[in-house]
Amino acid sequence: MSRIRLYLSNDTSSCAAGAERLAEAWRQRSDVELVRTSSRGAFYLEPMVERESPEVRLAWCQVTADDLPKILAGNGGIPVSTIPFLSRQTRHTFVSFGVTEPLSLEAYLAQGGFAGLRAARQVSPSAIIQEIKTSRLRGRGGAAFPVWKKWEVAATTTADRKYVVANADEGDAGTYCDRMIMEGDPFRLIEGMLICARAIGASAGYIYCRQEYPAARASLHAAILAADTAGWLESDGRPFTIEVVSGAGSYVCGEETALLESLEGRRGVVRARPPHPAQSGLYGQPTIVSNVLTFATIPNILARGGAWHASLGTEGSRGTIALQLGGRVKQPGLIEIPFGLTLRAVLDQFGQGMADGARLKAVQVGGPLGSLFTDAQLDIPICFDAFAKADAILGHGGIVVFDDETDILELSRHLMAFVADESCGKCVPCRIGSLRAREILEAIQQGQATAADLSLLTELGDTMKATSLCGLGARAPYPVLSALEQFPVEFRSRLRS
Amino acid sequence: MLGSMRYAVKTLLPNVLDDLLTRARPTQGAPPNILRVLHAVHDLCGYIDQQFIPAIAHSQGVTEADVAGVLSYYPSLNIQPVGRHRLQICLGESCLANRCDQVVEAIQSKLGIDLGQTTPDGRFTLEPVSCVGNCAVSPSVRIDGELQGRVRPSDVASLLDRYR
Ligand SMILES: Cc1cc2nc3c(=O)[nH]c(=O)nc-3n(C[C@H](O)[C@H](O)[C@H](O)COP(=O)(O)O)c2cc1C
Ligand code: FES
Repeated sequence: MSRIRLYLSNDTSSCAAGAERLAEAWRQRSDVELVRTSSRGAFYLEPMVERESPEVRLAWCQVTADDLPKILAGNGGIPVSTIPFLSRQTRHTFVSFGVTEPLSLEAYLAQGGFAGLRAARQVSPSAIIQEIKTSRLRGRGGAAFPVWKKWEVAATTTADRKYVVANADEGDAGTYCDRMIMEGDPFRLIEGMLICARAIGASAGYIYCRQEYPAARASLHAAILAADTAGWLESDGRPFTIEVVSGAGSYVCGEETALLESLEGRRGVVRARPPHPAQSGLYGQPTIVSNVLTFATIPNILARGGAWHASLGTEGSRGTIALQLGGRVKQPGLIEIPFGLTLRAVLDQFGQGMADGARLKAVQVGGPLGSLFTDAQLDIPICFDAFAKADAILGHGGIVVFDDETDILELSRHLMAFVADESCGKCVPCRIGSLRAREILEAIQQGQATAADLSLLTELGDTMKATSLCGLGARAPYPVLSALEQFPVEFRSRLRS
Repeated sequence: MLGSMRYAVKTLLPNVLDDLLTRARPTQGAPPNILRVLHAVHDLCGYIDQQFIPAIAHSQGVTEADVAGVLSYYPSLNIQPVGRHRLQICLGESCLANRCDQVVEAIQSKLGIDLGQTTPDGRFTLEPVSCVGNCAVSPSVRIDGELQGRVRPSDVASLLDRYR
């Protein structure tokens, strides 16, 4: 009997949604050949099973093990290309997701993999940096700093050793695109790091991966081994080693200088800047610390040209953004689109509104340090400048939607308690400020606070914004103060009169 | 159970631990790396006993205070033995929006323990985590290595029953 080939995602979230149960149920069948791919990121449809038909890939969605006869008979599948959540996207960095086997180097090469590195090896390091400059790529880890500027500093600083560090701490709750890349397309990250290594003259790379991502680390280990075996891990004729290092549950270790402290094996405490890591980073040597998604964006830029990248997006935000939709929307998942669409359009076109029976109360963009938006504020275009103007951040692209059952005061307390727990303790405004702010919020919850405490909360917030050493303390007040501004009654009605 | 685990660590490990610490010694000219050794010990034992600190410090050529400082800094390094199963519940914002508080309540009432505690029979240790990257399929519960998504309070009993 000929076996029918079915494609099933191996992504952590697909497995958590039931893909692993399907794999177990079908593993023994003689009529099925299961190919484990990355996920397309339409997680609301997972577990999703696909098979080839003469012209297109057909998909069966939210599959249970009992659906197998239907799938084998070819009944009820829909062409993947007709799923609006996917067809409305512009996939460049996530183009292979759902199609290839993550650890197949052949599949990566067949999809155009390492074309960017090949192009980079044809030109001088300064020409690589020029290409990145032309692309106008800004970092995707949160600070949105122009990538070429950091590379130029590291390239022009003379040193014995230079390092490339991928920030895979992905600490913002509500984000998962780095995890998807590491699990689903690890060679793309490796290729981006190799291009950077050539541009700045680095001889070693590290991927600092959060402890909560065991599958990502396993995938990276296997991919690094495969790339090394195939001879890709070299730069300028010298070996370029890549090591995966595990974090240990600290949020602030996503901040680049704390990350470097942690890589050196110490407490992940923020370093004062300058010097910036590009001048003096790991072990005091020039180091590029960039986000996983940033590195994964680089290969296409070298392969297709900086001008191609700069042609996408808005004036100050070129290229595509990977948004990660979560919370109480109908269709949570990964969305890659050019910058510029409004937040409302994203929630409507991709999220398809709220989960059944839920009504929107607030949307938090940019992780636990991101501001809250109400329905009336959703017409903001998704780009760095519009968000900066609104005192908000895009961060790493996480969007979490809260429904009308949400207790905003409790959410504010939760977010401030998070900062108080995670503060590295180096600077006073963050260490003490977050504790005091949490105490005030708790006092409001207990009906013990007065209007004067609310003013104090605002003042405290202003001090933290102005004087904290890193983004943790400086951004911590924003969610709470935006909540206070948008939902004043929820705070004031609980004050002691 | 906890008592016997501690006993096992005391009697079984010294050789293995010695080996590990010898191998973890920085090579000539290389800098020490405390976190790396702590990870290795943690992987081996499931937690880091305070009594190992002097040996760890010695292997890296640093002070005991240095090791204790790093150990206390990182939330995921346990300093006490954990139960047979690590039960992690995500309290990140996407899980919160999807009512993980109700899942926490269901777990707590089933097991009779609070976040951070171990059941008296040593079966589960209940740990809060902040996002496991499963936000699109939340709320998330991870038991040992296995991640469950879209967990409802009514799923808790049968889910826990699978781990003895
Ligand atoms: C508290 C805090 C946490 C951060 N967490 C992360 C993180 O998890 N991942 C990340 O890439 N950047 C994180 N950053 C930003 C990094 O400091 C740094 O800007 C980034 O790694 C640079 O990479 P990029 O240029 O590619 O954005 C964090 C910053 C702060 C202040
Ligand atoms: S918020 Fe729970 S998995 Fe991300």
